[in-house]
Amino acid sequence: MEREVIFRIRRFDGEKTYWQDFRFTARKGMTVLEGLYFIKENLDGSLAFRASCRMGVCGSCAVKINGRPRLACETQIFDIGSTLEIEPLDNMPVLKDLIVDMDGFFRKHEAVKPYLIRRDDDYENPKELLQTPEELHAYYDFSLCIKCGACYSACPASATRSDYLGPAAITAAYRFCADSRDEGREDRLNLVSGSDGVWRCHFNAECSEVCPKSIEPAKAVQRMRLMSAIHMIKSIFR
Amino acid sequence: MSESHTRKVLEPFGWIFQMITGLLLFAFVIFHLYITHLTSHDALEYAKVVERLSNPAIKAFYWLFLASASFHAFNGLRAILLDTDFGGRNERAVNAITMLLFVVAVVYGGLLLITF
Repeated sequence: MEREVIFRIRRFDGEKTYWQDFRFTARKGMTVLEGLYFIKENLDGSLAFRASCRMGVCGSCAVKINGRPRLACETQIFDIGSTLEIEPLDNMPVLKDLIVDMDGFFRKHEAVKPYLIRRDDDYENPKELLQTPEELHAYYDFSLCIKCGACYSACPASATRSDYLGPAAITAAYRFCADSRDEGREDRLNLVSGSDGVWRCHFNAECSEVCPKSIEPAKAVQRMRLMSAIHMIKSIFR
Repeated sequence: MSESHTRKVLEPFGWIFQMITGLLLFAFVIFHLYITHLTSHDALEYAKVVERLSNPAIKAFYWLFLASASFHAFNGLRAILLDTDFGGRNERAVNAITMLLFVVAVVYGGLLLITF
């Protein structure tokens, strides 16, 4: 099955923003990313977008499709309709066309120390860290984040306050705080409990709605918030 | 207690008390409507209001109602302001002004209650 579709793309050339329509015939099963490649190869070589793995693993191709952040490689054109409005992600500065500057997003991610912290790190004599299946399930879902930025783009709190850590970073912090092998909980709780941290979330849960991996960042932020509140109230009595 | 510590505990306490006062207000508003509109047709006459407020239990209820509503309102305002970049840059001023307004509202309203 083939059908003519219109890709309305919000473009930016470094100076001005404008919408441009591209018409072409799409095949059944064709993804939005394949459509973008078709345009780049056949209609307009100047169209800029990011993509890498084409299978929903790398998180590079997140764009807004008809107002909702999605992975272009995991969205089929016919599932959306015959007119697709494609825009760059929100809450990040646009560099060119569909490419946004994700530097701030990654700096926030880095700020919450998203790695296992152990006091007994000894690379000369590595030891095995055992975990029960229950201990694994406490954080496993949240470890599936591909850092595509869809949650950050949909988050209304990130839209109004630019230094808010955002759902992805707080989810990464929770993923390690909920890990039985980790010993850096205190560090991370101090990092996420400032006024630019968990308190800015209003639980709109838009992040969970748009997450292509269905990992529910909103749940992680709420849990992190409760963990922070308990930690900070306890710290008064210490 | 250092200033940074005070600022840090304001956030979790603000969040917890916002929920508690929200739930309390739901019950308080229903009770207030009940005694002012549903018990009798002349419950809002001046004499009746004075008579009601001469009861220390009612007075205490209204003071608690006032404290809950003021906290919920000004802490909510604080959160809204801190949600913006402007609020983030002026965090200490936002915290101080909104909490001061809360205290002023409770003290001023409390003084009005005492006069009855």
